Amino acid sequence: MKRHHWVIRLTHWINTIALIIMVGSGLRIFNAYPAFAPRGGTFCCYPFEGVPVPAWLTFGGWLAGARQWHFAMMWILVVNGLVYLGMKARLRVRRVDDVRRKYNRGQRIVYFLMPVFGIILVLSGLAIWKPVQLSLLTSAFGGYVWARYWHFSAMIVLVVLSIGHVFMATVVEPRSLKAMITGS
Amino acid sequence: MNRRKFIGLSLTGGLIACNSDGPDAAQKLLKIAERQNEKLERGVLFQHTSMDRVRKHAVKAGKKFPVYHISKEVPVWDPRVRGVWRLEVSGAVARPLSLTLDDLMKFKRTTQRVNHYCVEGWTAVAEWSGVRLSEIAKAASITADADYVDFRSFDSDYHESWDIESALHRQTIIAYGMDGRLLGPDHGAPARLHSPIKLGYKSTKYLTRIVFMPRRNGGYWSDRGYEWYAGV
Repeated sequence: MKRHHWVIRLTHWINTIALIIMVGSGLRIFNAYPAFAPRGGTFCCYPFEGVPVPAWLTFGGWLAGARQWHFAMMWILVVNGLVYLGMKARLRVRRVDDVRRKYNRGQRIVYFLMPVFGIILVLSGLAIWKPVQLSLLTSAFGGYVWARYWHFSAMIVLVVLSIGHVFMATVVEPRSLKAMITGS
Repeated sequence: MNRRKFIGLSLTGGLIACNSDGPDAAQKLLKIAERQNEKLERGVLFQHTSMDRVRKHAVKAGKKFPVYHISKEVPVWDPRVRGVWRLEVSGAVARPLSLTLDDLMKFKRTTQRVNHYCVEGWTAVAEWSGVRLSEIAKAASITADADYVDFRSFDSDYHESWDIESALHRQTIIAYGMDGRLLGPDHGAPARLHSPIKLGYKSTKYLTRIVFMPRRNGGYWSDRGYEWYAGV
């Protein structure tokens, strides 16, 4: 039996590309105003107010280009993510996917947290995309400024988890990378 | 995979991001996505009842409110050169108007403390005073084919066109006052459009003409790659 169902493998790699583009274009958007304080105000909780992230980490070229990429790729990310989670749930229900046998405790925590932070990213992203039209959601995050902060922070967490995940899958357990490509 | 391969793979990921604007072939797809987003925003998300509300403890930007114009110098209307400033309301209207600042001030005044959402990501709170665009539309009695509105300025060729729904929203105003004072040249005097329901660049400053139209005609930034709809 295959270690990873083909739907899981496909969505995993689509997700990888989509996430890289979302992070790159998101950082380019952030660089247009690399701070959180509202004009005339202050912000308590970000130590690098006003410091742009290095340009080589960004994608989209300029602000408008990065926004176009961000607001197009978000749909691929969301649809792909829903297919992935739906398939994952289906495999779990049919007991095809026995995560307890596949992964150790640390991996299970990381692989649980990644989609959780993905969902926080999507919701906080909607909150800063439409702070008036989706004002209830924006309020739930503490208003526009805080929603923007949570969006940024959740991205940092997801990137750190992803780097750990890539390291584990390539250096520590190289066979798992092959499994995510070929299935076995 | 060994460590070297890992580093190689990471670098490839980095290169994809590497400060580029992506493949040209993607541009068409990005345009399609923008149009689909606009359909969703206009058809589903936009509500006449959704209002921008400033949070209780939010501070006003005051002097820190960014100054922005596309001309090299701050555009100033000099009546000795250009004559009395007037706001022309024309196009798909039954009664075209030509309003002086005094005329504008005779309309019912609206004062609102709202956010200004800049496309760059910052927000600035100010208290704006002026006339709801819906009042002006009523006075000019816009015709049934007025589906769009263009807001033109004397700041070079700056203009932006709007969908009629957003233009007639309660919080979309022609502002002549800011934070309790008459609007200054830095912020679009004698009068500017202001609304918290669209990104800042849609709110044309230094107004000269409001033209109701059956079709949209883009705008300064929306012709340069920024979203035309730009609702928030």
